[in-house]
Amino acid sequence: MPVISVSGLSKSFGGLDAVSGLSFDVEEGEIYGLLGPNGAGKTTTVRMLACIISPSGGTAAVAGHDIRADPVAVRRSVGVLTESPSLYERLTAEENLTFFARAYGMTDDRKVSGRVKELLQFFQLWDRRGEKSAVFSKGMKQKLAIARALVHDPPVIFLDEPTAGLDPEASKLIRDLITEMSQKERHTIMLCTHRLEDAEKVCSRVMVVNMGRRVVVGSPDEIRSEVAGKAKLEVMVANPSTALVEAAASVAGVSAGAIAENGRLIFELDDLNAATPLVVRALVESGARVLTVNTFLPSLEEAYLRLIKGDGWDSR
Amino acid sequence: MGFAMTLANAMLVFRKDWMEIRRNSQVLAPILIVPLVFTVVLPLIVILVPSVIGMPETAYQGVGTIFENLPPDIKAIVEGMSAQQSMTYIFALYFFAPFFLIIPIMASSVLASDSFAGEKDRKTIEALLATPLTDGELLLGKILVSFVPSMAVTISAFALYCVVVDVSSFSLFNGAILLPNLLWAALIFLVTPLVALAGIGITVMVSLRVKGYREAQQLSAILVLPVLGLIFGQIGGVIMFGTTMIMLLVAGFAVTDLILFRVGLRVFRREEILMKSV
Repeated sequence: MPVISVSGLSKSFGGLDAVSGLSFDVEEGEIYGLLGPNGAGKTTTVRMLACIISPSGGTAAVAGHDIRADPVAVRRSVGVLTESPSLYERLTAEENLTFFARAYGMTDDRKVSGRVKELLQFFQLWDRRGEKSAVFSKGMKQKLAIARALVHDPPVIFLDEPTAGLDPEASKLIRDLITEMSQKERHTIMLCTHRLEDAEKVCSRVMVVNMGRRVVVGSPDEIRSEVAGKAKLEVMVANPSTALVEAAASVAGVSAGAIAENGRLIFELDDLNAATPLVVRALVESGARVLTVNTFLPSLEEAYLRLIKGDGWDSR
Repeated sequence: MGFAMTLANAMLVFRKDWMEIRRNSQVLAPILIVPLVFTVVLPLIVILVPSVIGMPETAYQGVGTIFENLPPDIKAIVEGMSAQQSMTYIFALYFFAPFFLIIPIMASSVLASDSFAGEKDRKTIEALLATPLTDGELLLGKILVSFVPSMAVTISAFALYCVVVDVSSFSLFNGAILLPNLLWAALIFLVTPLVALAGIGITVMVSLRVKGYREAQQLSAILVLPVLGLIFGQIGGVIMFGTTMIMLLVAGFAVTDLILFRVGLRVFRREEILMKSV
């Protein structure tokens, strides 16, 4: 049974449709990415699912609670990392987490202080617990904001641009944490991002949205191969010729072949692993003196750009 | 159980906001400095300066119009007094009274602006609205954090004012204690809480519609205008601080508060608050 189940969710502001009829399911422990450019409707979708704003149409259930009928129960079951860290900068790290632990319904003082300590230690902020969050670096603030989203140990976590503005090291730390939360603790995570690297590295499935509408759903690999085209094999030979291209192109699993301007031979393959040795063998048997062999997978970025630009791709 | 839970959650918001406010000099400065001016600086100028530097009788002619416009019962009280005694008596017991309406208005609107619009300014509102705290709990917590310190400042200012007036006029009135009296007690404990609530009510509604603390505070400053009207009304002899004025103020502000909070409860919706902040 899906932990997040969304059906025809819509939101209009005035006459503008920010989100139009989104439907999708997210399973327990899954990291589900919402990918799209600025203004695509990602944050609005998360706000509706976290019951911060109400939908104009459609419905959704989060952790078994209907977002329209029982918004307080939904809010209790979810942790939200908002677009900006949203920290009380005049409060210390410890005071921030303690306030939110209580706001999320934790009443036992010992449990609250234990959980706060656990999270601050995990995020390596325990030694700075008594300092106001105003003096923290951007990375530290982001870690504290993620800790806040986890403080009541919710089954569902919404993370809106969790690595925005972070350096590569801090970004990796956050990505590793997201993966760990999903794999070890079975948290269901919905990740809003326009950073393809994040989506590609941590999400099991991704939904690309644009102008409030669903463009495509699938694993990063599926989207990459279906939208951006086939894998490519590039072979550098000492004696390039059309005859060599024709010989290799007749191998099963090769859909196209050509000589590039730099003299390299380029082949499009249906199955990279199966066809690569066959192509190399065919070339050698046809007299090619092979110098280097490189394979290229189409990037998610290529797929994403095609989708966003509507480059001949039908929404589904 | 339901109300106990609401109150506990409102107190959670209250304590969090109070921790923030007491670390914010931008908020604390006006709510401490303005009462000090009204309760210490101005009374000392009016009461002590004439007695220390020995003002001639002609100096009091400038306030002659005010004395002419006094109601008969007050005129009768000051009739046997010297010019300096009557001026001190009238100013300390009557003309400074409206300043004690400015204190709760100013304090409550500064605190409410910080508590409501300040959350938008500092971009902390979305995380707060994402919690299971209900609209009513948030509203009550934020009203309390604006109301309780405002009243604490007002009552403390009144206590300080009594000391300043009584000490500085002690020899002038041969040891008689002028304040507190019943009229001032009614002003402080009946009228100023209603005034503070009106300040909060207006500021809440302004805060819902603006994007930040400064904008909210500037718009809320308009609340001081009716009080200035009272001050000038007294100088012109149109109205005078007394039982009738207290009753009118209680009735007027009670009705105003009722309207403000009915409307406030209707418009205080988390979605509205969030959308107006982006």
